[in-house]
Amino acid sequence: MAVRLELLKMGRSRRPWVAASTLALFLALMLFGFYTYAQKETGGQAEFRYTFENASYFNGLTFSLYAFYFGFVLILPIFAATEAGAQIASETHSRTIHLMLARPLSRRRLFLTKSAVSLGYLFLLVGGFLALSLLLGLVAVGWGDLNIYPGVLQMTSQHQSLPQSQALARFLLVWPAATLGLLTTLSLALLLSTWVGNPVNAVGSSVAVYLVLYVVSEIHFFEDLRPLLFTSHLAYWRALFQEHIPWNQVVSEALSLGGFAFLFLGLALWRFRNREEVG
Amino acid sequence: MQEAVVETHKLSRDYGRRQALLNVDLRLEKGEILALVGPNGSGKTTLLKILGGLLQPSAGRARVFGLDPFSRRRQVMRRTRFAFAPPPLYDQLSAREHLRLLGGLGLNGRPPTRQDVESALSMVGLLGRADDRVGSYSFGMRQRLALAQALVPPPQLLVLDEPTDGLDPLAVLELRGVLRRLRQERGLTILLSSHLLIEVEQLVDRMLVLEEGRVLYSGPPAGLRDGRQRLHLRVDQPHRAVEVLREQQMRPEASPDGTLLLPAGALSLSQAAALLEASGVRLLEFHEAKPTLEELLLERIRQARRDQGLPARGEVR
Repeated sequence: MAVRLELLKMGRSRRPWVAASTLALFLALMLFGFYTYAQKETGGQAEFRYTFENASYFNGLTFSLYAFYFGFVLILPIFAATEAGAQIASETHSRTIHLMLARPLSRRRLFLTKSAVSLGYLFLLVGGFLALSLLLGLVAVGWGDLNIYPGVLQMTSQHQSLPQSQALARFLLVWPAATLGLLTTLSLALLLSTWVGNPVNAVGSSVAVYLVLYVVSEIHFFEDLRPLLFTSHLAYWRALFQEHIPWNQVVSEALSLGGFAFLFLGLALWRFRNREEVG
Repeated sequence: MQEAVVETHKLSRDYGRRQALLNVDLRLEKGEILALVGPNGSGKTTLLKILGGLLQPSAGRARVFGLDPFSRRRQVMRRTRFAFAPPPLYDQLSAREHLRLLGGLGLNGRPPTRQDVESALSMVGLLGRADDRVGSYSFGMRQRLALAQALVPPPQLLVLDEPTDGLDPLAVLELRGVLRRLRQERGLTILLSSHLLIEVEQLVDRMLVLEEGRVLYSGPPAGLRDGRQRLHLRVDQPHRAVEVLREQQMRPEASPDGTLLLPAGALSLSQAAALLEASGVRLLEFHEAKPTLEELLLERIRQARRDQGLPARGEVR
């Protein structure tokens, strides 16, 4: 019943629609960006050429990979944080959390239900975003083999090529892998939202912490800190697009991210179980 | 001795330097209706939140059905329903969805019966708007929905925070009828809070008056009047009359308008007339005054504030 209630509340809220619309708009803008760039660089040919030797490597799969990567870094964490903020901080702010706590439902179960529903939402959002980017790539550009060159997205040190079917299978693998990465942001936001009673502050502080840590993890000066920052591991799913997947590395980074998520969720649960509803 | 449904012992709670409750003792027996009465900020909601397991006491003890409501909230809520104020509700859900989904929480997937839902909605007069989104409800309707959701599934203890807020006089009357019926038909124990004594005095068995977190009075509403009825005597020579009455070992108080006040029953009309007229004082008016409970309560609150060295409401020091 708790899951049904959470799903109904989410379904009736504007959050899923705002997220879906924003991601669709983002994809449209990405496509427009690629298109205008190709036009400018190729003197009017609607074909993406850059400095690489293969002039026709750009296709719908390349577009999907680029779009997903930037969406993953820039937009999806915001929606993960927003959902977490809505689940706890928003209910605290509107005091509807009192309605649920006035029922024979343990705080642990309530928290785990909300976390599970948020995770399910995130899984669908990531899957939907991947599917939409692939669909848009297919319709607007057309699929083909996925060629990746050194330097781009820091994905490989040498040119690699994945046949279309293999590339699509890798996109499928990316779905749960990227969701796991974003679960850390979601968990961090859940943790902050158990402390902060206002959803705007909860989401704002979560996004701010994520951005600061992300920037820190990209600065070479802080190289020694990288293993300690969850943001250093977030884009581990890129390794899934290598010709030979380095499974040891992927599993190790996935475990690190799982550990961070577990830690954040554990702390959030501890806080939620012991806190008072003062407001 | 039967176990109390609600019991607090020297219950205190502070928010930093502000003392919200101090040494509150309360006992609510099965089937009783008890009102927490006091002005805004007197500690009523804090007390209800402690009983609802939302807050912990700073000192003292609170028990609901013999259980600590903070650490055993789930067990307490199997038998208790709360309606908080102002009513926290989900604007995007309908009244029926509130009752159906909230009513099934913690019941291992067993939704409340359709009959329970319909009966609760009907009881508060919301059946006609049961499928409308709550976001379109007036404050009074939200208040009624808050009560309805607290009736599903039927509890043993019903706790209502300011249930009459936002209700028109007719709705307040209906609410009183609903609560009486719940007690009579289901043997419900009811604890409610209000800052308006007049709205609850006819309903409750006992009341606990709070001011600045302290208990000012605990007992039946009529008990507030004990010893507070006064004889009002209007005479043509107040000073002379005071002397005459003092000679009879009475201690009259003189009000600013010259009326003399004596404890009720100190004199009969014929005795007063005979006594005063023998001394040349003419008795113009004689009656026993019964102050309203509201007046008595305000008097007690003002007195308590004076005793604590605090300014009375609206009083500039």
